[in-house]
Amino acid sequence: MKRWRLVGIAALVAALAFAVAACGGEEAAPPAEPPPAEQAPPAEEAPPAEEPPAEEAQPGGTYRVDVETSFDFTAGFDPTAEYTAIGWGFYNTLIRKLMTYRQTVGPPGNEPLPDLAADFPEISEDGLTYTFTLKDGIKFGPPLSREITSQDFAYAFNRLANPNVGAFGYPLYYEVIEGFNEVADGKADTISGIETPDDKTIVFHLTKPTGDFLFRVAMPAAGPVPEEVASCFSDEAGPYGRYLISSGPYMLEGSEQLDVTSCDTMKAISGFDPEAHLLLVRNPDYDPATDSPELRENFVDRFEFRINTNADDCFARVKANVIDDTICGETGKQIKEYTEDPELQDNLKLDQDDSIFYLSMNLTQPPFDDVHVRKAMNLVMNKTGLIRAWGGPAIGDAATHVIPPSMAPPDLQGYDPYPSANFEGDATAAMEEMKQSKYDTDQDGLCDAPECKNVLNIMGNLARDKGMIPVIEESAGKIGITFKTRQLDNPYEFIFTPTEKVPFTGTAGWGKDYADAFTYFLYLFDGRTITPEFTYNEPLVGLTAEQAKEIGIDYPAEGVPSVDADIDACIAIADLTERTACWGDLVKKVMEEIVPWVPWIWRNSSIIVADTVTKWDFDQHSGHTAYTHVAVDQSKQQQG
Amino acid sequence: MAAYIVRRLFWAAFVVLVVTMLTFLIFYVMPPGNPAIRFAGKAPTAETIAAVEERFGLDKPWYEQYGIFVKKLVTGDEWGWPGFGFSYDTRVAVRDELIERMPRTIFLAVGAAVAWVIVGVTIGVISAIKRGSLLDRLSMGFALFGVSAPVFWLGLVALFLFADTGGGPEWLQFLPGTGYVPFSDSPKAWFLHLILPCLVLALLYAAFYARMTRGNLIETMGEDYIRTARAKGLSERKVIAKHGLRASLTPVVTMFGMDVALLIGGAVITETVFNWQGVGSWVIRATFDSNLPVVVAVVLVGAVAVAVFSLIVDIVYAYLDPRVRYQ
Repeated sequence: MKRWRLVGIAALVAALAFAVAACGGEEAAPPAEPPPAEQAPPAEEAPPAEEPPAEEAQPGGTYRVDVETSFDFTAGFDPTAEYTAIGWGFYNTLIRKLMTYRQTVGPPGNEPLPDLAADFPEISEDGLTYTFTLKDGIKFGPPLSREITSQDFAYAFNRLANPNVGAFGYPLYYEVIEGFNEVADGKADTISGIETPDDKTIVFHLTKPTGDFLFRVAMPAAGPVPEEVASCFSDEAGPYGRYLISSGPYMLEGSEQLDVTSCDTMKAISGFDPEAHLLLVRNPDYDPATDSPELRENFVDRFEFRINTNADDCFARVKANVIDDTICGETGKQIKEYTEDPELQDNLKLDQDDSIFYLSMNLTQPPFDDVHVRKAMNLVMNKTGLIRAWGGPAIGDAATHVIPPSMAPPDLQGYDPYPSANFEGDATAAMEEMKQSKYDTDQDGLCDAPECKNVLNIMGNLARDKGMIPVIEESAGKIGITFKTRQLDNPYEFIFTPTEKVPFTGTAGWGKDYADAFTYFLYLFDGRTITPEFTYNEPLVGLTAEQAKEIGIDYPAEGVPSVDADIDACIAIADLTERTACWGDLVKKVMEEIVPWVPWIWRNSSIIVADTVTKWDFDQHSGHTAYTHVAVDQSKQQQG
Repeated sequence: MAAYIVRRLFWAAFVVLVVTMLTFLIFYVMPPGNPAIRFAGKAPTAETIAAVEERFGLDKPWYEQYGIFVKKLVTGDEWGWPGFGFSYDTRVAVRDELIERMPRTIFLAVGAAVAWVIVGVTIGVISAIKRGSLLDRLSMGFALFGVSAPVFWLGLVALFLFADTGGGPEWLQFLPGTGYVPFSDSPKAWFLHLILPCLVLALLYAAFYARMTRGNLIETMGEDYIRTARAKGLSERKVIAKHGLRASLTPVVTMFGMDVALLIGGAVITETVFNWQGVGSWVIRATFDSNLPVVVAVVLVGAVAVAVFSLIVDIVYAYLDPRVRYQ
């Protein structure tokens, strides 16, 4: 009896404990899914983040950043081939080029300015010759510590043309240089179109006028490369990243210990461990007199970028001031927390990063081979719902066309060819459009042909993809289209491969390489970039009958519209305003006549920083923190 | 016994070979898609894809790739012995990365093993001795909790409560947060960083071991020879320690060996939660990234660990149970 009484008391206590726990307090563990984002206030209602006056920024200290899971470098941090935004953000501290950016937010951050070049280049009347003169006193860092010459730039471009190295990056931008393709094809050793008459002068001869050439020489791959080191790594892209010689204000920690006597004596610089950390210290050979504070202020003495496999821990550490900045994927949960808490609002940096996400429709696969279906999809899609699935308005603004607003001409501001109230879709207008489609056999506004049912949709496996699927299906259902959705860990293997004939994908996005719409149109809508193995042009805009045969797909009887000639015409324009206007006209053509996408969000970059940060700026070019414009208050920093 | 050990070693080598072949089939042959595309640059062309395939050896038939792999495993490659090749992702030699990460995983596994044996067996013994008491019920309640609570949740709660970056009460936050500190950098920091992940990992196993020890000991204490031992006048402590425990621990020993061996392959969840940078978190990322040499290398190491520990367990088993003799 006594034992059963004890059991009963214990059970009662346990029940009370559970009741108390259920009634109050927060879960110890964060919820698996982000909370409904409609509770988050829109980004525009958040009080503007006030930057402390620049006088408060003190030099010195270490800027500590956690990077979630992996650096995810695509080419081992080799600047000739590395094309990740995170890599480009780091390169701002390590590599100076002929031209560079201010590393600040907004349009001023997208304007190329002379860096190692003494001034803007001389450009010939026909736009085919660019002559740059280098500054005095510019040097590579340790262990070389020697002057940078025009030959170092010429070598960098030759490395770009090297099919074993540069081919893995973005060589398309440099094919306009005379002789570049000959090196890429193995027919020549050096690029005939690059001259270096003396150590201070470099001349580029182009095959055609290229209005955005200054942007192209501002890319990390166009920075100077010392042949005495990099020639040891000319067989493949990647390994040079661990031996990177600085031309910027910072260098890899341990660079001075690199033994460059021969290729065999070189050991990877300790400051970069691709699986663990990237540590940067000041470059003693950097001369601030050759630079300007407008481009680089270089407050901190050292950077520590460390991998953190636990995203929640990333955010706990920044809140505890154990780190100063994060490259961890903020979810709706963090966005909500930081936008709703007045004490945290200033720590959340939201800036439009010139990227766009879209639903892609394959112009060769039914029912999307009919432009009326594509237009109807644009009219019916609930973009607000998609944004909510991703985390709410703070994540970005509803996109209405195919390039970021910062690259669009003034007449494209507010341009929306498929308007609907609150971007929630207009089923009535969509059905009217659908009636014109051959797939609406009874013209009732619903896609009723067999091709409209169980259309394959390839999506990723992230939380936002899961949230997007019901929105896409519900919207499309209003015009009679149903999807068979497959979620994959790596959807890009299929959506970028034309032979897979994927008709639709909701997992597609793009970010600029530089602030000219060419970087969008070239990869996303130029038919000449389509190969059977790979293309970013998922809709297959500009596909020719010959290409279709090579890929093994049926070429539509009506053909596939192309904008290749329009792209060529726009890129040839030297004047930025005129060229931008040209891109604007092309945007309208793509959105109104071709309609390959349903663009749905112009995304914001979301970066959480600690209270330790006294100065911070957003690098509009890379979409990351402007590391050469940050400062910390060392007294607030905690140790982990 | 020596002949037995030699036979077992040969058998273990054969098993490891079969495991690597199966791994090859699963990761190299069966998946759709071409892993070379992922590493062929921003805009892969037929030429860059072919170049990557040749560099990675993916242009050869799978059986030829496997043959080259086994050969390099035995003779070594340009980075030394064993020849595991290079990481597709970072171009770093898999061997070098494995050598750097393996000690971290071993520290975690051994630390957790010590903790769970001490805690689990102790609780199990006490529970068995005080069977039916409040202590027994609390112990089994703990075991139920340990078995039921997901490791990732335990890890997050532990960080929240005890780590200095957590959000729990300040008076509880006496341990550092995540990350691994090399012993050579600071033995104190190394040890302090080891505590939480070891305890979190140990909790699940301690629960199992407590239950198993309790059950086995209760059963053993009911045997005739235990009654005989008591009848001979031995103290209860000696009866339990010398006669009861020894017999009841043989299945625990078997389980212990296998558990530690499997952890050598990486306590994936614990390493990820605690940013431990060991083998487990590495191989998980490699799996998702189609970084095949890393996957095969870690599987191989895990298989060798299981084979070796299995042999050690059998030898210890023979020591514990005199009835067991190997020919």
